[in-house]
Order: sequence, then structure tokens, then C-alpha cells
Amino acid sequence: MGTLLRSALRPLRRLGGLRGQAADVPLRGVRHGAAGLLYPGHIPTSPLQKALLAAGSAGMALYNPYRHDMVAVLGETTGLRALKVLRDQMRKDPEGAEILQKRPRISLSTLDLDKLRSLPEGSLGQEYLCFLDVNRVSPDTRAPTRFVDDEELAYVIQRYREIHDMLHTLLGMPTNILGEIVVKWFEAVQTGLPMCILGALFGPIRLSAQSLQVLVSELIPWAIQNGRRAPCVLNLYYERRWEQPLRALREELGITDPPTVHVRGLA
Amino acid sequence: MATHRSRALWSRVMRSCRLPGFRSSWPRGPLGARHVSQEKQATETHFGFETVSEEEKGGKVYHVFESVAKKYDVMNDMMSFGIHRIWKDLLLSKMHPFPGTQLLDVAGGTGDIAFRFLNYVHEQHKGKQKRQLRAQQNLSWEEIAKKYQSEEDPLGGSRVVVCDINKEMLKIGKQKARAQGHKAGKSYGLAWVLGDAEELPFDDDKFDVYTIAFGIRNVTHIDQALQEAHRVLKPGGRFLCLEFSQVNNPLISSFQVIPVLGEVIAGDWKSYQYLVESIRQFPSQEEFKEMIEDAGFEKVTYESLTSGIVAIHSGFKL
Repeated sequence: MGTLLRSALRPLRRLGGLRGQAADVPLRGVRHGAAGLLYPGHIPTSPLQKALLAAGSAGMALYNPYRHDMVAVLGETTGLRALKVLRDQMRKDPEGAEILQKRPRISLSTLDLDKLRSLPEGSLGQEYLCFLDVNRVSPDTRAPTRFVDDEELAYVIQRYREIHDMLHTLLGMPTNILGEIVVKWFEAVQTGLPMCILGALFGPIRLSAQSLQVLVSELIPWAIQNGRRAPCVLNLYYERRWEQPLRALREELGITDPPTVHVRGLA
Repeated sequence: MATHRSRALWSRVMRSCRLPGFRSSWPRGPLGARHVSQEKQATETHFGFETVSEEEKGGKVYHVFESVAKKYDVMNDMMSFGIHRIWKDLLLSKMHPFPGTQLLDVAGGTGDIAFRFLNYVHEQHKGKQKRQLRAQQNLSWEEIAKKYQSEEDPLGGSRVVVCDINKEMLKIGKQKARAQGHKAGKSYGLAWVLGDAEELPFDDDKFDVYTIAFGIRNVTHIDQALQEAHRVLKPGGRFLCLEFSQVNNPLISSFQVIPVLGEVIAGDWKSYQYLVESIRQFPSQEEFKEMIEDAGFEKVTYESLTSGIVAIHSGFKL
């Protein structure tokens, strides 16, 4: 009899609300009607967690360079101040403000590949497609933002990631390790994101002496020069400039031709 | 006594009437006497801190373990600083199996408990053999050597069945078994079965010991799993459960650290977020003890380890 009563009462007891959601445990938010979720995919994190994530992702990215997701996490957890500066810069520029308002995304679903292919040779669209084909990359491999606690800044960093391939095209850099480091230096000067700066400084660690020499003597100075000269590349509405010849765009931005270097073993 | 038997009979009737997918609407529990108002709540449950329907929870938990399976052991070491090995060793020493024990390890995916059991029993068996030989006097060296060599069953009749609902976890477990080779005759007495803790694919009264280590909080209907445990154990059989339990203070920061570790090491935040939340959602030691008693177990006790981070609950089917 006693057990019967007890078993009948127990579910009531357990129904007394969800168990102790202490303030320190990061809220995940209920499924419907996100409490604390600012955008799809957002994971709210405490300052301690952000610090640990930053340290952990930096270490893991160095240990295993193929963990691109760790580089992304590092960028999100360390970039708050730089992102604010970038966002303010974008607001001041007319084209940038339009981007912030319209929030265009670059992915295979939003790109009209046929139209891009039909564009004249030498145009931005053509060159971009060519770059994607030759290097066998796709714009869909960019991880979505998760740890930025501001919805507009989350978009800014997402945009920064998505135009990374554009920068490769603009600078004429391939996707091998040297090319990536050069683009990272350019981005570091342009955006000031700590992740770019760290990547630029630590990326060359695993390079051979010859590549390092070429990098330091020619490629990096060129990247820095162009980075300082060019206006903020996040302000360009690339989706409107597909027809613009690449050469003209480069002139507009003040980007000179990349130095031709031949390193044994690299394309 | 009468209540026990009628309870068992009733739950048998309930189970035989159950059609696949019928679960949530059929009133469960001893003598079917649940509050009617429970019906609506019974179809929703918790997945960590989220509220999900019961059908969803099973699927979601499956996905969590599917994605963590490969890194399960590494993550366990990271999160508990290797202490989980000690907890599992303590579980085995509490179990104290002897050659001939039939063990069912539920939710035992990667085989940690099963392998420990096999080693333990093998050591016991060797000890027994040594004692037997010592008791026999005037044996020649050849006869002694022959006794040691004739290993018909290095485990002395013990058997362990590892049952898990998740194929990936079982796959990892089988790989581990193969990697450890035929040491201590592990090809003997080890079986891997795909099954649901709420509906075990075994007959009644089959096992001497039932263990579930860090698995029961993932089950959608814990009371059903406990009833199934009661059913498949032989009279005199023992139920052992190793699970995280409520701790008041010191682990607060570790609950923040665990999802971070999951993200950095395994690239998977969400599964480890689920882990810490599900720990928070699990009933306290006393409450769980009452649930075990409800399923028909007697002499139910629990022992908290490492200042309450985990607890081992034990009950007997008498």
C-alpha cells in the first residue's frame, strides 16, 4: 500500500520543474522560442568557457593543422573587439552599410553558377569560379558562427569567412600553405582579428627554410603593403561586381600583381 | 510477497499487450494505477535541459552516442582525469564475481565493464586452479604441467553478454575485444547483443548479475529498464548501477569545462553539453534508490564515490 502511494506521488515530485539550472551552467535555451539564442546555431558561453575555448582551439590548431574548425572557433572567441571595429567601419561605408542591411551569403545555393560561367573571361565571376575549380574548393565548407554573442557581429565574421576565397582570387594566391599564409597576412593587416594575426605568425612554423626565405623576403612585404593600401575588403558587395574585370577591381583596390616565385615542390 | 508476484504478473500482462509504438499511451506502473493527469505529461520528457517528446528522446540520444562512439574512451579519460577507470574497478570489486557468474552488461557499448569482468574472473579461476593443485599431493611435474595446459574453459563457466542499443558503440567494443586478442581466452564467454534496455531480448531468470554503467540516465523510461532488469535476473541475482549523481558544489566549473573539452578534442560541443545536462537531470541517490525498490528489488543500497560525483546502487532480486 505504501509503495503504491509512493509510486503515484513520485512523478509529481519529479515534475517540479527542471532540475537546478544553476546560473553558472550555460543555458542552452528551450527548443521553441529561444531564450538566449540570438541566431540559429548560437551557443551561449560564459567568459570562462570562451577563455578555455580560445586556449584549447589555439593549441589544437597548432597540433593538428587540419582542424579548420578550431581556427574558426579561435576567431570567434578572440575577435570581439576587432569585429566591433570592422562593423563600425562597414557602417560608415555606403556599400558596407548595404551589406550589413541586406546580409548576403555566399554559398553554392545562393550563387548562380551558370550565370557566372557565362561571364566574359577576366571578370571577377569567371576568375572566382576558375579558382574554385582549379583548387577544388567549395564555398560551402565554412563553419557557421556559434560562439559570438551578438547577432550582427556573428554575421560580420560569417561574411569574413565567406569572402576568404574572394581574397584568394583578388590576390592571385593558390590554396597551398604558402598561399594561405600570404592571405592570412593580408587579412591580419586588414581586419586586425587576433586569429589572423596568430595564424600569420604561427603558420610559417612548419615551413621549409627555402619557403620561409621566399615568404619573408618577398611575399609578406607584398601582402602587408597591399593590405595597408587597400580599403576594407569587407565593404565590397562582391555579388554586384561579378561582371567587373578583375584587373579593374585590383586597380580600384590598389592591389599590385603578386610577385612570381618558384619554390621547389610547390605549385 | 503477494504484492511482488502480482506486480510481476501485471507487468507481464502489460508487456504482452504492448504493440510496437504503443508505448506512451498505455498506463504503466504497478497495478496500472497512475494519475490520469500523468498521461499528458508522460509523452514529454527531458533531453538534457530541453523538453522533447518521448519518441524524440530515443533518437536524439542515439545520435549523441553515434557521434561520440569513436572518441568515447578518450573523452572519458579527459573528463574524469582517468578516474573513471577506478570507479569501474570499484564496481567490479563490489560485484566480486566468481567463475560461473553470468553477467549482463546493459548499455555497455565499448565493453569497459565486460573486459574487467573477464579479467577478474580469469584471475579468480587461476587462483582456484592453483589452490586445487596445492591441495593434491604427490603429483609429478608432468601431471602438474598437464593440468595447467588443459585450459578447457579459462573462465570456469562465466559468461558476459554486452547489450547496447547503439550499433556504433558495439562496433567500437568489438574492435577493442579483437585488439586485446585472445588474452585470457576473451573469445570465450563474450557476446555482443543489440538491444533496448527497456525491452531486453532475453528470457526471464537468466543472469546472475545485471550491470549498467553510465547508461541508465540515457534511457527514456528508467522504470521500465529497472523492471526489465528485475525480469532477466535469476532469483538471488544482483542489480548494480554505476551512475553520476547529484553533487552540491565542487563540480560547477567542470560542467563548464566539459563541453569545451568536447569541442576542442572531438569537435562536438552539443553531445557533451547533453552529457552535463543529463547528469543534472538524473534523480538523486535516495530517489533512485526508491525507484529501484519499486521495480521489486530488495536490500537496495548505494555508495557514493569521489565525494558524490558517482554512486553505485545495488539491489537484489529475492
